[in-house]
Amino acid sequence: MSAILLIAIPLLAAFISILFKKASPYILLFVSFGSVIILGYLPLETITIGGFSAPYGINLVLDQYSLIALYVVDTLFFLIVAIACVKYKKISTVLLVALAGLNGILLTGDLFNLFVFIEVSGIAAYLITTTNKKPLATFNYLVAGTVGSSLYLLGLIILYAMFGTLNMADMSANIASSGLTIAVAFPFLLMFIGLGVEAKLLPFNSWAKGILAHSNKLTGPMIASVYAAAIGFVFGRLLTSVFVFSDKLGLILTIIVIATIVAGEAMAFASGKVREILLFSSIAQSGLVVLIFLQGFVGWGVFLIVANAAGKLILFMIANHASDELGTDEVKAFKGLFVNNKVIGLAFTVASLSAIGLPMFLGFVVKMNILGDLFATGDYLIPAVILITSIVEGIYFVRLLMKLWYKEDNLPVVQYEFVLKYVVVVLAVLIMLFGVYSAPVETTANDIDANTIVEGGNL
Amino acid sequence: MKNFLALVFTLFLGFMIITALSNNEAFPKYGEADVSTRVSQKYLDRSVNGNPGEIIFREATNLESGPANTVTAIVADYRSFDTLGEVTVLFISSLGVALLLGSTKQRRMELDFHPNFMLKVGSRALFGIILMTGIYISIHGHLTPGGGFPGGTMIASSMLLLYLADDEFRAKIKGFKILESAAGSAYVIIGLLGLLIGSYFLENLLNNGVLGYLFSAGMIPIIYVLIGLKVGSEISGVIDNFLTEESV
Amino acid sequence: MLQYAAIVLLMLGLYGLLTQRNIIKIIISLNILEIGLNLFIVSVGFVDGGLAPIFTSVNNSSNLVFVDPLPQALVLTAIVIGVGTTALGLALAKNIYQKYGTFEIDEMGEE
Repeated sequence: MSAILLIAIPLLAAFISILFKKASPYILLFVSFGSVIILGYLPLETITIGGFSAPYGINLVLDQYSLIALYVVDTLFFLIVAIACVKYKKISTVLLVALAGLNGILLTGDLFNLFVFIEVSGIAAYLITTTNKKPLATFNYLVAGTVGSSLYLLGLIILYAMFGTLNMADMSANIASSGLTIAVAFPFLLMFIGLGVEAKLLPFNSWAKGILAHSNKLTGPMIASVYAAAIGFVFGRLLTSVFVFSDKLGLILTIIVIATIVAGEAMAFASGKVREILLFSSIAQSGLVVLIFLQGFVGWGVFLIVANAAGKLILFMIANHASDELGTDEVKAFKGLFVNNKVIGLAFTVASLSAIGLPMFLGFVVKMNILGDLFATGDYLIPAVILITSIVEGIYFVRLLMKLWYKEDNLPVVQYEFVLKYVVVVLAVLIMLFGVYSAPVETTANDIDANTIVEGGNL
Repeated sequence: MKNFLALVFTLFLGFMIITALSNNEAFPKYGEADVSTRVSQKYLDRSVNGNPGEIIFREATNLESGPANTVTAIVADYRSFDTLGEVTVLFISSLGVALLLGSTKQRRMELDFHPNFMLKVGSRALFGIILMTGIYISIHGHLTPGGGFPGGTMIASSMLLLYLADDEFRAKIKGFKILESAAGSAYVIIGLLGLLIGSYFLENLLNNGVLGYLFSAGMIPIIYVLIGLKVGSEISGVIDNFLTEESV
Repeated sequence: MLQYAAIVLLMLGLYGLLTQRNIIKIIISLNILEIGLNLFIVSVGFVDGGLAPIFTSVNNSSNLVFVDPLPQALVLTAIVIGVGTTALGLALAKNIYQKYGTFEIDEMGEE
């Protein structure tokens, strides 16, 4: 059992499934379920491809960080597919390739291979968003994604010209031994901007509004939860293991990220549509994830991604289903939605309270520990930003929740099918469970921190 | 106003890139790249897994990577995982075009220009020549520049010639789909065979032969022929999707 | 010289992306950006007086000076990826034209 099967089998299934169009949704379900199961049998190792060991060949790295990342992304992918594949049958081959691409992003140990797999999953994402039936928004996404990847490749080539290698571990060793922190700042900035386009950092996130504000049950959760988690994990790997920051570069990047968080929360506060509130909150959360990785806290960054991805899956799934049925997503039209759908309403409430960071939920555990670690390093600006934005988040989420639970005369009628209810309830219960019983979360986070070989970074 | 700001921004960015690169002491000046400090030196000497000494054309036997063309050795042997990703990108792009533009009943698009009889017949003669050139380039990828990707594109351009010269021509798309699917699956299956029989995914299992002969370099000519067929059928599918429309 | 030309092409493509409002012109600017990028990548591998990295009956020994083959392999992949995205962009452009009747973004109104 080798981790390469996580990439090879979905690709093979995708190539074969265009001949068997009727059976392709079932192939998709089977393969995505299989990729979650196979994760339990994989040993933690570095896998060489083609018989040529790194840095002359490509290698895949399966360590604790990648294993958690793979679990999160593959499980959420399977859940979304299980709920949405009934309605979107034509797109199952694209989803298989997206699964292979996402696994490739998380597993690879080579920077150019990362570029290729980002393009693979990026093009799969453009095709998934075509189910929104908004070709102009998809076109904007395509242009932004291609420009971002080109900037990433430019930064990578400058690094290759300087150090002569493309492998992640080899590159970080070369950078550390050469001591050139100022000269590598420019390529790192280019690579950061390139990845930041996909991660919805300001000012490159203009595509996010077009895609997520009109999303449906498949696109919304997929882009906001699964893809955001995968890109967050990639940022974590690169920011802590490969990049080295001079002070000026760290300052510029921190300013970009804090601007993202503040702008995201502000626009969510001012919005009157449910999907817009959720998407601006997603932008702010992406910024927060990158900020945590910039400060060097790998373990808690991982769990912030986990809590965020699970929460956003619940929120987007519920909101998009209701928007599909009601035809609009203004908050006024949603008033009193949860009075007849109490189970769904409870799950939504749990997810939003976890996103704010209230006690008893996973989000609280994560935020508490992050704030504690930040105070311990003596920094006061960043915890202040996090606290203030959490308060703003709390205000608009509670405002939304009150409107949705409010008893009224003309209640909107939305039916939720059983699979969706089951999935969101299970996820909500897990969020509450790990929020209360948080010891395993804390030990795993400290474990990841200790095991991550931080050669670059500013720890 | 916006144009002026954009001009200033791009000039400033270009200036910044040029100064950052000139002030960078580790970035070599144009033409002074030192290949011996990079990974490419071992690719050129074929000495990643052991040193074979000096390599002479038509005399070196069973090197670790058989093609005489070092770029092919990198693309199809040392870094063939990237090629698998690239093949997937083309696959998903052609699938996406079919999803966006396809429909159930289709006929050729009505254009204003109707080609005459001489064009229709004469283009068929040219079609054969272009197709043969594409196949030649695709097969000789390990000896000359080129390989599967340019070869496949030439095969597709021969189809484009037929489409442009004859406004009632439609290729058999079902056959192209089967060819594309079979070629892609064969590539992944070759990789999985390497995992099962050898010990690594995409390992080159056949003997690498003498450097410079047509039948050398193990599986690489086979892989390049597969890639050529796949690329040719995919781009032909894209051309067909663009030149057809819904039939009423 | 070649690297300056590559950077000029990059900036031209970027300028086109920032200012043009016609879908087809945006796709063309994206292609110019990618051409500039690919040219820059190839220029990184050039060695003065180096030969093409192919063993032929004329250049038949591995003791000769060759140019760096790895950027050329990277460019092969990057060109193909660019072709893929351009094909998708053009298919989307055809759909946009069928939906809105125009290629100008300003005439399309609300999405």
